[in-house]
Amino acid sequence: MNDMSYTPLPPVPEEFKILSMMHNIGAISPERSLTPDELAKWTNIEVSIVRDCLQRLRELGYVEHSEVSGVEKYHVTKVGIMKVLTLYS
Amino acid sequence: MRIAMISWEYPPRIVGGIARHCEGLARALVKHGHEVHVFTLDFPGAPEYEEKDGIRIYRTRIEVGHPNFLSWVLLFNHFIEKRLADVSKRVEFDVLHVHDWLTAPSSVAFKHFINKPLVFTAHSTEHGRSGLHIPDSFTIDGLEWWATYEANKVIVTSNAMKHEVCGHFHIPWEKVDIIPNAIDPTKYQVAVDRWAVRSRFGIQPHEKLIVCVGRLVPQKGVEYFLHSVPILARRRPEAKFIIVGDGWYRDHLEWVANTTGQRWRITFTGFISDGDLIALTRSADVAVVPSIYEPFGIVALEGMAAGVPVVASQVGGLTEFIEHDRTGVLVYPRNPESIAWGVEHVLSNPDHAKWLVQNALEVVQKSYSWDAIAKKTGKVYEEVTSSKR
Repeated sequence: MNDMSYTPLPPVPEEFKILSMMHNIGAISPERSLTPDELAKWTNIEVSIVRDCLQRLRELGYVEHSEVSGVEKYHVTKVGIMKVLTLYS
Repeated sequence: MRIAMISWEYPPRIVGGIARHCEGLARALVKHGHEVHVFTLDFPGAPEYEEKDGIRIYRTRIEVGHPNFLSWVLLFNHFIEKRLADVSKRVEFDVLHVHDWLTAPSSVAFKHFINKPLVFTAHSTEHGRSGLHIPDSFTIDGLEWWATYEANKVIVTSNAMKHEVCGHFHIPWEKVDIIPNAIDPTKYQVAVDRWAVRSRFGIQPHEKLIVCVGRLVPQKGVEYFLHSVPILARRRPEAKFIIVGDGWYRDHLEWVANTTGQRWRITFTGFISDGDLIALTRSADVAVVPSIYEPFGIVALEGMAAGVPVVASQVGGLTEFIEHDRTGVLVYPRNPESIAWGVEHVLSNPDHAKWLVQNALEVVQKSYSWDAIAKKTGKVYEEVTSSKR
């Protein structure tokens, strides 16, 4: 019988790391949302990379964007929370 | 008896099987006359406190977070512990029941604070889930051991898990009780317009629908299922495949699907509602559970309750309620050829498939009801409270 070897695990995608960190920080509702600059500081990732990741996460429905007094902020959606938690269970 | 049940997930915060397990158990315990207080984490849109089906649910807001996962876990345990302490001023608990390691720190601390027995259900182990390859995994492994050490009694859901827990954590055999998982079979026997459901998911009447449900994480073995697609497609040109669920591994799995040359046959739905999940499962021709590690395997039990033939890996708890070729079909784990054989075995023998489904349903109804599981759990509570006196 064909006994396939275990495929080496791929690295966790960069945008998933950001999603996970947003969740752990507590950015899970509009009132606790964070700006890309704040996220870049928390995660120690360049703000341009953070913005690219946020764009992709938004397209996938894992984060939502809001604008408060002209400031763009992001928080994790319910589906995003469930996605993050799969990493830990 | 007054029970404090502590779990990091509880509906609507659903990650894997634990949330549904805790809800089903809590409901059944209430029906048996127990007073159940559930302590869990907050979830957007869910109230901080509610009473539902007689269960008192306390959802704790995590006031301070941290980007590091383990720091976040310790922080939310601190807030759960505060909530437990606050509620215990009004409620005198008889027993604490904690589910998995994530809420072990608050539960162990609270056990000593109120000097009451602790029951720990080990739904899986880090050793089994991901191996112990990174420092975080060793920390989680240590916390799991700590919970088994501090608990007055440990519950596991299968004999396979009992061997794993006793062997890996070196705890006495008699300290561990096996109480299987359960489901409410009536939930899966609703009337479904099969053809309308299939059409909604892009399945034509003449096509064979093979579903695979689960978190998209490596231990669920979905990769091996995807590798079985080209083998099955050669034998069954009318086969279509739907993968339900989401997870951090999804990008990789979609990449694997792209390499099969059969991507057009495969649909990833992401998370779907419970109603859609039941309707889709009931409309399928086969449900595949290709896990490579499975302490219990509730997805297979759900498939059996939904009246669909189940093809599952011969691993862990799956082998304890699926009898090969009587209540389902067991195949070799990590083996696409074997998965393809199992699916073809079911599809090519429709009468035999019906017989499998009938037998499976009888087993589910007889042995895996919440009523039976609540009775067994109640006995564990009685045992730990009487020996504590």
